[in-house]
Amino acid sequence: MASKLLASVLLRQTSLRTSHIRTLSTAAVAAVAPPSTAEPYEDPSGISMKGVKISGRPLYLDMQATSPLDPRVVDSMLPYYLSRFGNPHSRTHLYGWESDQAVEAARAQVAALINASPKEIVFTSGATESNNISVKGVMHFYKDKKRHVITTQTEHKCVLDSCRHLQQEGFDITYLPVGSDGIIELDQLRSSIRPDTGLVSIMAVNNEIGVIQPMEEIGKICRELNVPFHTDAAQALGKIPIDVENWNVSLMSLSGHKIYGPKGVGALYMRRRPRIRVEPQMNGGGQERGIRSGTVPTPLVVGMGAACELAMKEMEYDEKRITKLQEQLLNGIRAKLDGVVVNGSTERRYAGNLNLSFAYVEGESLLMGLKEVAVSSGSACTSASLEPSYVLRALGVDEDMAHTSIRFGIGRFTTEAEIDRAVELTVQQHYFTIELATQLFIAGNVLLSKPSPLCVIDVALCRQCCLVVGVIALSLLVML
Amino acid sequence: MASGVPPPSRAEILSLFRSLLRTARDFADYNIREYSKRRTIDAFRQNKDLPDPLSVSAAYSDGKSQLEVARRQAIVYALYAPKVKSIMENKL
Repeated sequence: MASKLLASVLLRQTSLRTSHIRTLSTAAVAAVAPPSTAEPYEDPSGISMKGVKISGRPLYLDMQATSPLDPRVVDSMLPYYLSRFGNPHSRTHLYGWESDQAVEAARAQVAALINASPKEIVFTSGATESNNISVKGVMHFYKDKKRHVITTQTEHKCVLDSCRHLQQEGFDITYLPVGSDGIIELDQLRSSIRPDTGLVSIMAVNNEIGVIQPMEEIGKICRELNVPFHTDAAQALGKIPIDVENWNVSLMSLSGHKIYGPKGVGALYMRRRPRIRVEPQMNGGGQERGIRSGTVPTPLVVGMGAACELAMKEMEYDEKRITKLQEQLLNGIRAKLDGVVVNGSTERRYAGNLNLSFAYVEGESLLMGLKEVAVSSGSACTSASLEPSYVLRALGVDEDMAHTSIRFGIGRFTTEAEIDRAVELTVQQHYFTIELATQLFIAGNVLLSKPSPLCVIDVALCRQCCLVVGVIALSLLVML
Repeated sequence: MASGVPPPSRAEILSLFRSLLRTARDFADYNIREYSKRRTIDAFRQNKDLPDPLSVSAAYSDGKSQLEVARRQAIVYALYAPKVKSIMENKL
């Protein structure tokens, strides 16, 4: 609430500078806003949405949240929306046969990217569903003998939530801590494995900090101690080379929309030798070998297959380019600003994910001010709440640094010019946020009889006293 | 495998290159446009010194099918182009 007030003060400042007269009352803004909030209001001079007005579509640097479709993927999907619309499970006519053929071809394309057999791939509605099937399905199947699951503190919300659900059913869960670089301790993993451990679930590339876990070593430990190994490879697919034989994984969750494919589709790799069994979460007509019933969405699956094939061809080229762009971004920001910290290991990291913490500024204000750059702080799942991300907390990052983290996602379609512009805007917004905080601090000191010198430096205090200082500053700004 | 077909001539390859760049220019989306231009130039540069005519023919036919995809998608992207362009195009 206090942060929203601070944000509205910021917006007021910005709008004063761009010479727009805006009303302060939120009720008035709501009345003026267009009735259908689904359509952003677009006119040739810019877009206006949620009280923010920008002159063009922002440049997209949030590739970990989702990625744009590659035109070659769109091209492969369209025929299956237009003329080849059959259900792949229809056995009796051409529409069914051609759809089935397309689904099987896509399955082979996905399998080729991870060095698996097509028979080991099951299509699902996304990595979240694949994670649910892996965690809950495996443990429910082996519930008589196995009662323990090992995972990490930095896993994706869907894995953590599935584990919490299992905990409520009476299973034991061990959440392995991570070091300050985001990587788990292998000895700790080895010592946590018990005779009744049914699953080890560790994600390959973290979605918030981009850190790559030591997959081969973990796979070796799991094979040695005969424990099934599940990994959430949604962010890793197509970005780092994946080999299910090298990694010795039994289950792997894959996502379509992180590799320039369509949203709403994913896959689950399930090893056949030695066979891993799961209890299905979706019951029905027995499609996808009974693991996931429901009509397989042909266009989405074809799109995912095309995206995987493209990823295989373009992985080297993309990786070289993205590493170069990441250096450009980091060096550009470090040249102009101090107190920039990279969250997570700098060696074992995927280049396209750059999570930075900025000292001396308030993160929400920095983000709100960066309207022309589409970035996120923490993961899309947690950015609705004002809590700092649990991943950063697990890394041991300080409370105030955790609040100011911004995640830049670089992808296949990012250009050098966009990186330069992003650097420029971030630096500009950083200075502006400090300037505003200083003004509020001065205003607070002038008008409050007991000045609080901790107001700007200690973020926790700032949130609470902001309500008073913000109201006073607002009235000051109105008069100016 | 058509063994009797001669590999494409220099003129044909250059014509393919120019067509790809021209089609790339027609994309309504800033990022896709820049990517198509850049990828075409880098791909042709990378395949500059292919040793045998078979791989040259293979690369040429791959390029031709990419040209078809690009032509279709340029039309589709133009049909659904947003009224407001990317921020990057405003200041250019």
